Amino acid sequence: MPLINFAAREINYKIVYYGCGLCGKTTNIQYIHKKVNPSARGKLVSIATEEERTLYFDFLPLSLGTVKGMKTRFHLYTVPGQSYYNASRRLVLQGVDGVVFVADSQITRLDENVESYLNLWDNLMDQGDDLSKLGLVIQMNKRDLGEIFSIEDMTDLLNHTESPILEACALTGMGVFETLKVVCKQVISKTGQG
Amino acid sequence: MARRRGLVINDRQMRLVDDILNKLRQVSGSRFISLVSTSGQPITTSSAEEHPDTLSLASLAASSFAATQQLAEVLNEKEFTLLFHEGRESNLHVAQVSEQVLLVITFGRETQVGKVRLYTNRAVEVLRPIFHAIENEEQAPLLIDDDYSLLADEAIDDLFAGME
Repeated sequence: MPLINFAAREINYKIVYYGCGLCGKTTNIQYIHKKVNPSARGKLVSIATEEERTLYFDFLPLSLGTVKGMKTRFHLYTVPGQSYYNASRRLVLQGVDGVVFVADSQITRLDENVESYLNLWDNLMDQGDDLSKLGLVIQMNKRDLGEIFSIEDMTDLLNHTESPILEACALTGMGVFETLKVVCKQVISKTGQG
Repeated sequence: MARRRGLVINDRQMRLVDDILNKLRQVSGSRFISLVSTSGQPITTSSAEEHPDTLSLASLAASSFAATQQLAEVLNEKEFTLLFHEGRESNLHVAQVSEQVLLVITFGRETQVGKVRLYTNRAVEVLRPIFHAIENEEQAPLLIDDDYSLLADEAIDDLFAGME
């Protein structure tokens, strides 16, 4: 459920990029920040360690402009991927309207992907949200690398909800905006369903 | 399963809230006041000067407050109900209004911490029932209808045109 402020004529949706450590969540947000029209975005806020690993979150507000008289915004967040940062992930998930689960396609990252996917559902269920109202997109990232899983195998493992799947290489930008577009449209249609 | 929760604030409620914030700013001698949701979204502001980046402020203040709650848990404390940052020129005070709403207030050397805390606590007492009512209302987002979805879809296509 987004934050709707009738007096200020504003609707804010929250979208969270989730996934294991080094899967490319921050790279997605950085690419969006670099490419999107500066007038449509706010400042990119990153709370990272000295090694540029996300410590708490990245945050990027995107403005869609005025839709039916309401200023509509998407607030994009990432979570820290390493398993020991679960307390931070739970905090960032509060009030989420849509999730992009970024999966690392490399065969060597199988365990981390599965652990992160199960952790996402654990955290969402603990929040007690009605998950039928949540937008969810699976992004299969790093498709440009060798030694990667097929889309079919990854779908079996990481998509029990039959959510939309997109292939990506966040470093070059392939699939980044396609993913964002799908999740943005999803959160609007899901929150609109009575 | 529980209903997904959000905040839907109408004109009358917001006028009431804005009046309280403006009055709080005047009597406490503070520079800037903002209400933000615990999920990091700005609700409204009252400011005598140019607004800071309210989107970043909302996101960071909410996260910082949430981290403080986790610290309380680690220390076996029931809750820390306020957060205070002291700077050279300005100070930041964050207080919880309701389950989903925080009050963020900044002030400088022209006023006193005790005065700000006293008036903030009083304002929170008045704001709390308003937001309890908002949080417990049956929310029907009638605005997000087929028409809105269609127009938003077009706006999304326009915003990301040529980037795929």
